[in-house]
Amino acid sequence: MTTSIKISKLSKGYKKEVVLNDLDWTINQGDIIGLLGKNGAGKSTLLSAILNIHPADSGSVTIFDQDNKALSNEVKARIAYVPQQNDEIPWLTIKELIAFKKQFYLQWNDEKVDELITRWEINTKKKMSELSVGQGQRVLIILALASNPDLMIFDEPAAALDPAGRRDFLREIVNLAVEENKTIIFSTHITSDLERIANKVAILHQGKICHFDDLDNVKENVVRVAVHSKSVRDVVVPNALNTQKSNCQISSVVTHLDKTWQQEMQAQGHQVEVNPMGLEDIFLEITA
Amino acid sequence: MIQFNIAASSGIPIYKQVVEQIERMILNGFLAKGEFLPSVRQVANELNVNPMTISKAYGLLEERGYLSRQRGKGMMVAQQEEQISKKEKMAMLEKMIAELISDATQMGVNHKELLALFKTKVTSDDNNQASSVVSQGAEV
Repeated sequence: MTTSIKISKLSKGYKKEVVLNDLDWTINQGDIIGLLGKNGAGKSTLLSAILNIHPADSGSVTIFDQDNKALSNEVKARIAYVPQQNDEIPWLTIKELIAFKKQFYLQWNDEKVDELITRWEINTKKKMSELSVGQGQRVLIILALASNPDLMIFDEPAAALDPAGRRDFLREIVNLAVEENKTIIFSTHITSDLERIANKVAILHQGKICHFDDLDNVKENVVRVAVHSKSVRDVVVPNALNTQKSNCQISSVVTHLDKTWQQEMQAQGHQVEVNPMGLEDIFLEITA
Repeated sequence: MIQFNIAASSGIPIYKQVVEQIERMILNGFLAKGEFLPSVRQVANELNVNPMTISKAYGLLEERGYLSRQRGKGMMVAQQEEQISKKEKMAMLEKMIAELISDATQMGVNHKELLALFKTKVTSDDNNQASSVVSQGAEV
């Protein structure tokens, strides 16, 4: 597998607060990653540090094997970034902005631009500053998709979109995912979006990527286990994230279900119940 | 196109949901032998899910002998041996029964009570079938 992004020992803080703490993370081509983290966990800081928009304090990042502080124009043209804040030139009309942006890219998909402008009913005569937050975000997404990039980084793309806009956005990501080798990272709070289109999930917690795995693995491994019995005093659940215990029931969320343990428990006459969990619950448990 | 019912936020991975639904459609004859499934891209677009999820599901079904990959044409419902199909049906029922038992346990219904209930239900169904004149070669 080819590496798209390699992050080593990345640290960044604001004043006295440490946001990213010696963070290591390797992302492969073809990964479609949903990045989760609590408010203030540093998702935006991480995404903008990857692209060196707001440089890190220490550590290194390579993108397509080049140092992110010295990317060639060829590599830059393969990257698209959609920030949370619309920072495009406010006095340009949408039409002017598109023409302006187009100059920087070797590949530019005019058809895609026209299709989305029409579908999303964007008035290209308007200035960027005259758009609503949602419309502005749509324009940014159009600009990002138009350059047919190999690496796309979206910072909360769905936050300002209405349900129809979100669905359209997801569809575009699905279309991109069909062409293999695209790398997509998006931060989000909407876990159901992530569950649809991501193949990997990353959780940013306490300055590090504390969990990075295939979404299917996460769902298959992290489960809620309950043991019922006359007495569960001596029962210890392996790999437990947290445990609630009463006299005759013990309930834990485990990072990995130990099948041998489960069989032993059942052989001893305990009832073991295993229930799958949705990603939102898993996220809350891991970051609790 | 065949309809899938996907719950993205469920704890069950989407590929598993797709596998299970196709299995069911094949076992109950909704999908006939030789029929072609929609392409990975079509399904991914329709459901708005990652295409890799769908190809993973198709791949698993191929491994289990439900589907066979036809070059340039896509995935076809495979011709299955009667015996295998029977075995698969029993396996699926077993899984459903396991779920039922777990549900019953949660409701505080013990195995004996559940078994009694099952017996009553099966017997009353048998009686109904015997009394209806046009029982069409009642299977099982």
